[in-house]
Amino acid sequence: MTDESPNGSGRVRITSPLSSAPPHVRSTVGQEIDEATGVGEVYMQSLIRSQLRAAMTVAITLLLTVVSLPLFFSWVPGLNDIRVLGIPVPWLVLGGGVHAGVILLGWLYVRHVERVERLFALLVEPGDTRP
Amino acid sequence: MSPTWGIVAVALVSIATLAIGAFGLRISRTTSDFYVASRSVSPALNGSAISGEYLSAASYLGIAGLVLIHGADMLWYPIGWTAGYLLLLVFVAAPLRRSGAYTIPDFAQVRLQSVAVRRVSTALVVAVGWLYLLPQFQGAGLTLQAVLDAPRWVGTVLVAVIVTLNVVLGGMRSITFVQAFQYWLKVTALLIPLMFLLLAWSRDGRPSAQAPTDWWVPLGDASPESVYSTYAVIVATFLGTMGLPHVVVRYYTNPDGHAARRTTLIVLGLVSVFYLLPTFYGVLGRVYAIDLIDSGRADTVALELPSRLIEGTAGELLTALVTAGAFAAFLSTSSGVTMALAGVVGQGLSNHAPWRGRLSSIAALRIAAAACVAVPLVLAFIAEPIPVASSVVFAFALAASTFCPLLVLGIWWRGLTSAGAIAGLIGGGICAGAAPFVTLALEVEGWWGTLMSQPAVWSVPVGFGLMVGVSLATRARVPANVGRTMVRLHTPERVQVDRRF
Repeated sequence: MTDESPNGSGRVRITSPLSSAPPHVRSTVGQEIDEATGVGEVYMQSLIRSQLRAAMTVAITLLLTVVSLPLFFSWVPGLNDIRVLGIPVPWLVLGGGVHAGVILLGWLYVRHVERVERLFALLVEPGDTRP
Repeated sequence: MSPTWGIVAVALVSIATLAIGAFGLRISRTTSDFYVASRSVSPALNGSAISGEYLSAASYLGIAGLVLIHGADMLWYPIGWTAGYLLLLVFVAAPLRRSGAYTIPDFAQVRLQSVAVRRVSTALVVAVGWLYLLPQFQGAGLTLQAVLDAPRWVGTVLVAVIVTLNVVLGGMRSITFVQAFQYWLKVTALLIPLMFLLLAWSRDGRPSAQAPTDWWVPLGDASPESVYSTYAVIVATFLGTMGLPHVVVRYYTNPDGHAARRTTLIVLGLVSVFYLLPTFYGVLGRVYAIDLIDSGRADTVALELPSRLIEGTAGELLTALVTAGAFAAFLSTSSGVTMALAGVVGQGLSNHAPWRGRLSSIAALRIAAAACVAVPLVLAFIAEPIPVASSVVFAFALAASTFCPLLVLGIWWRGLTSAGAIAGLIGGGICAGAAPFVTLALEVEGWWGTLMSQPAVWSVPVGFGLMVGVSLATRARVPANVGRTMVRLHTPERVQVDRRF
């Protein structure tokens, strides 16, 4: 714009923004969180609540399945007579089945909370397109 | 049996451990390398390292011994030791990493802004660590005695010396490589002999284990006391894992919270694969080595089986392989615990009078490591040996009653105060720490004996209750910056917020 002036005189026009006007405030969610405003608190609370809910879901699932197994075994006799591949069912469940269930639960949990965190990041920094 | 192969196996494991440690030393330069491997360990390596360190003699030899004696009910030990990681994953892993502290006392101080909490948790870390080291040292002595006919002190002293050297020379960076190597060694050393044992067993006509119904059926005797004992193991192991100092300290070596979660998932897989194996040894032991129960040597069943089923050099080689794995188990867990203790105590040494400024933090770590090994080493010679798996559960119960409430409430509840934390740590610590010793000393029998010797079922609620109750009573003393701490603990690293305290 400076050197393409039609007569090549080298004249430059200088314009300035309205420096006396108050700056346009657009606080990002990140700033809201940093300044611990009401909005920032709401965002943080919702993140922490959803993470805690996921954790409690896993813990309660564990309580209802694995932790109740001893009671189940003591109330239901005769389970040992049921055999799969020659191995009594309780031994299969305790020796390997529970471990597989625990891994599955962990995998589902990680998948869920990683998605929650991705959504939270998108909420706070909408322009961020990192995977 | 001639002990030659066993000596070769133990020597090879020792040399490999020191060599890998020396390799780590070449790349350990900074304080951060020494304490947390500069926070740059990848999930796959860290997962192997955590599993290697976690699978102690209690898992490697102890479970087979317990299954041999008590049968199906003992399968709760490996389940608890696995599920503990699931609860660690969901409640603690990522926030703990994001807290950015080195150790549990660091976390306590950062979260609660109190030096007093720091001191109490330092003392408890040392207590849990010593409870954990003691059976490892004793077990090492018993193992070398069983396999090599060596006097008991040989194995104990050998493990203590190698562990101290490794921590002193290389710190966390070299320990990480050593631990990862030892996980794979332990799996191999149980898996390969097991295949030969199963082959020999099926050639033998697949004899069935001779055992009463009680042994076969979970809770076979259906008494309330055995139900209580099962739940005591479940509570202690499920909740204790997240509070073990040597496990927690490894989480700070992850690069970020995502990596901390991935690491835990990998650990869940690796630990579960390992725990498939000892059960087989226990059951085969019931077929071929039932005399070990009466002679009180059930913990050595995995070491005895290969030479009983397979004759000649092949049997001796397989015994040597199992011995190598057992020795790796003693070394890796002891190294991990010592490293965690040295990290905690070393920080205290270098930051406090009268040494402040005169002792570099690496020198402090080295002095602390030597001191932390010396005490359980002396105790190992004084104390009577007890079955390794059950004595490790004391350490789990103590961690579950103290550090589990501290971490869970500290991460998820804004209302925790320093007074509440101290009350819970001391109250839970006394219940879980003192009760078993009182039982042993007074020989309490019956229901009271069961309740006191396996305190986790009631001591964990005491720890939680005291922390919540006293915190509510001292509500005015909630740290002013708790909001900022919560932001730091819970926001993913990719979100750019102010993470200063």
